[in-house]
Amino acid sequence: MRGCGGWHANRRALLGRAGEAVVPIPAEALERGLAAVERGGGLSRRDLFARGVGLWIAAAGLGATLSTRGVLEAAAAQAAADPDAPILVSLYLDGGNDGLNTLVPLADPRYRTLRSRIGIAPETTLALPDTADFGWHPSLASLKRLYDAGKVAVLPSVDFANPDQSHFNSAAYWRTGVVGATLDRSGWLGRTLDALGTRDNPLQGISASWSLDPVLISRGAPVATVRDPGDFSFWIPGVWGDEGFTSAYRTASRAGATPARAAAAGAYRNAFAMVDRLRPLRTDEDHPAPPVPEPYPDTDLGGTLRNLARMLGAGFGTRVAAVSQGGGYDTHDDQPQAHAELLKDLGDSLAAFQADLAARGLSRRVLTLVWSEFGRRPEDNDSNGSDHGAGGLVLVVGDRANGGIRSEFPGLGRLDEDDNLLVSTEFRTVYASLLESWMGVEAARVLPGVDGRRLPLVRPA
Amino acid sequence: MTPARARERARIERLWWRAGFGPRRADLDRLAPRGLDAAVDELLAPPRGPELEPGRGATVDGQPIDPENAYGHDVLWWLDRAVRARHPLVERMTLNWHDHFATSNEKVGSVKLMMAQYRTLRRHALGRFRDLAVAMVNDHAMQRWLDLVDSTREAPNENFARELFELFTLGVNNGYTERDIREAARAFTGFRFDWDKRRFWFDADQHDTGVKTVLGRRGSFTPRDVVQLAVDHPAHAPYLCRKLWGYFTPQPCPAGTLRDMVRAYRSAGTQVRPVLAIILRHRALYADLAEGDQVKPPLVYVAGMLRRTGRRVDGDHWVWLLDQMGQRPFSPPNVAGWDQDLAWLSTGTIRSRFQAVSHLVDDWVEDGSVAGTQTPAQAIDAAIRATGTTHVGPRTRDALWRYARASVAGRTERWEVRHYYAERQRVLRHLLLAGPEAQVS
Repeated sequence: MRGCGGWHANRRALLGRAGEAVVPIPAEALERGLAAVERGGGLSRRDLFARGVGLWIAAAGLGATLSTRGVLEAAAAQAAADPDAPILVSLYLDGGNDGLNTLVPLADPRYRTLRSRIGIAPETTLALPDTADFGWHPSLASLKRLYDAGKVAVLPSVDFANPDQSHFNSAAYWRTGVVGATLDRSGWLGRTLDALGTRDNPLQGISASWSLDPVLISRGAPVATVRDPGDFSFWIPGVWGDEGFTSAYRTASRAGATPARAAAAGAYRNAFAMVDRLRPLRTDEDHPAPPVPEPYPDTDLGGTLRNLARMLGAGFGTRVAAVSQGGGYDTHDDQPQAHAELLKDLGDSLAAFQADLAARGLSRRVLTLVWSEFGRRPEDNDSNGSDHGAGGLVLVVGDRANGGIRSEFPGLGRLDEDDNLLVSTEFRTVYASLLESWMGVEAARVLPGVDGRRLPLVRPA
Repeated sequence: MTPARARERARIERLWWRAGFGPRRADLDRLAPRGLDAAVDELLAPPRGPELEPGRGATVDGQPIDPENAYGHDVLWWLDRAVRARHPLVERMTLNWHDHFATSNEKVGSVKLMMAQYRTLRRHALGRFRDLAVAMVNDHAMQRWLDLVDSTREAPNENFARELFELFTLGVNNGYTERDIREAARAFTGFRFDWDKRRFWFDADQHDTGVKTVLGRRGSFTPRDVVQLAVDHPAHAPYLCRKLWGYFTPQPCPAGTLRDMVRAYRSAGTQVRPVLAIILRHRALYADLAEGDQVKPPLVYVAGMLRRTGRRVDGDHWVWLLDQMGQRPFSPPNVAGWDQDLAWLSTGTIRSRFQAVSHLVDDWVEDGSVAGTQTPAQAIDAAIRATGTTHVGPRTRDALWRYARASVAGRTERWEVRHYYAERQRVLRHLLLAGPEAQVS
């Protein structure tokens, strides 16, 4: 096993927390869109308390001037300026997904030999309507449904030249869109916003997680980190109810004479205010979340995509978003069951997300790019798992995705010097294709020095 | 206690937070009569003998930790060393150097190598910076972290050379060029590593022995030569002294003090100890004694509360709590280390700091263990004693009093007395350990 200790449990965002401001977004803006707030004659602080908060936005890059009203006005302006603007969602599979067991190369005679221990039995794979060369992993029935409907473009071996088998380096290259060391820590989607976004709407880029996703680090454009509205409270063991200690903490947090002390007091005041405002939003037996057309899996990814769909549905002028499926793709040992569960979660979450977007009239505006830092070694290992490889599987999912196998599969007959899959497509070619044919921004503005190769990943409207 | 003695005591308390992991009351009782200067002397010339206080080390579920093999135990190992440190400044400077030469196990992938790096940082903690920097070139965790082992004569990797100038010795764009980085990278070629055999070695055939031009000098430089060129660069001493200053106080560094530090540092041949002596005796370190002017780093906050309350590391909850507070030793966020001071605090991290104390006070006060005759003043005194609190500011005192009175008002039934008097004690202790005053030093 190669250098993976602790990789998954703690990946803090590369950006510091300094400079982030937090603003509340009213619940009705989420459920009925900005227009409802606008019709109500705008929004006062009191309104916000009365109506409840839909989400809390931690925004990077805006400084101290951030207010709920300002954010909503900027969001409304950006949404109104281009109501049909396309949206790109990055979905990162953390740890290095085994593409060869996701889309199984049935026609490759070497697969059975190399994968003698963890290979997927061909008869259990799910057939593709347009080719007998591949079969989906048996857990991917939901994804197969999307593929059969022409909504999934598949790229079987995407990476960069001379692949690096470190999680850290590979993920950094994919996130920045730069292969090799760079002083610039910005992410390629952050720079996409620098190129086509505004200077005042953090909701144009949504990091649907607890900390800013590095792909969204921009040079100047503000972006938002959206936290879970339903899980923020304080408790002390053996203390019944939180009113007493909350009041004591508030008294102690009235002010502070030094910047450090004021920051500590302010952090407590803000945190307790968040608890108050989020209370109406907690979902429980009496207060179920709003219905969706197709149930999301009860997983972190399912919940995150469900939250993201609500945000996209609100019309905040969002152009890019980032999500990740945490943890387990680094399947060095006992891969079969763990991988099956991850893929089922992935496929079911994507299908529920697509159905949700369709019900909101958004499915033609959203493409989801599914990627991982690398694929895995074709030959399985002695621990019933697979080691770090090259050539990862990339999916582009959405109504406007150009469904089908869209890049060359290099095959298992000839491998690279590390016995890994040959790389047939560079990831920046995928990025450049999406930037130009979907986002409408010249690729070189985001990816310095990118070459002219492009792939047909988007269907004409 | 006279006001002058109280101030001296408060200074020593501040010193022990900034140059260590917080004082126990016994530390203050011992040090205060001898005065601040003697306390600084003790920090700078640590007594001989064991590195750690005797007694039980960190445990999980009652068993000793296994840092090399059990997940997260490396974090507990570091925390335990902070709690039991007999040489506080050495231990604290080791943490500072870990931030300075920030290496993450997320890429290194071996706790064993990380712990070896810790030993190296500690050995040089108060010593000669040049030697520490050379030791870092030869450190196996560093060699993996900044790709020295993937750097050959044919294809030199610039990662280490870049950070050597940018972060370790000179500062961003501070007196070097891209060409200096490329040339220096050639000097750092030849280190090798074999994953399968877990073996590091130096391969002379892969080392570029040619002439390089680095920082204006030409020569067939070795790794050691390049480190020497960097620390001889005029921008190095001010950069490093200013950075060291920043670890101890958020107050601006006066120009005259910077000159003094640079002079002391250079004349001692890059010895760090004389610089620390200037910082630890500087009046800026003792600004705003009553309020606290620096946010405690999470590791200092946690180690300090365990020291105050006479606890040891006794569970793996500290791993995720430190993680959520934003400081997991052996896993800095990137090669630039942690963002310090105010950047530690957000609504998310303050909640984790609160929760950390919730874990600490769990099971501390049993229902029924506090008499219904306890007055608010007695309750507050008891909480101050139990938490090893040395100073209570006016806003915290106000909060304690209001709560101590209101929380048991009208609680006269037997079951109410049984629960609520204990509950009051839990909350008072919690506020003393996690309140805004406890977040700063």
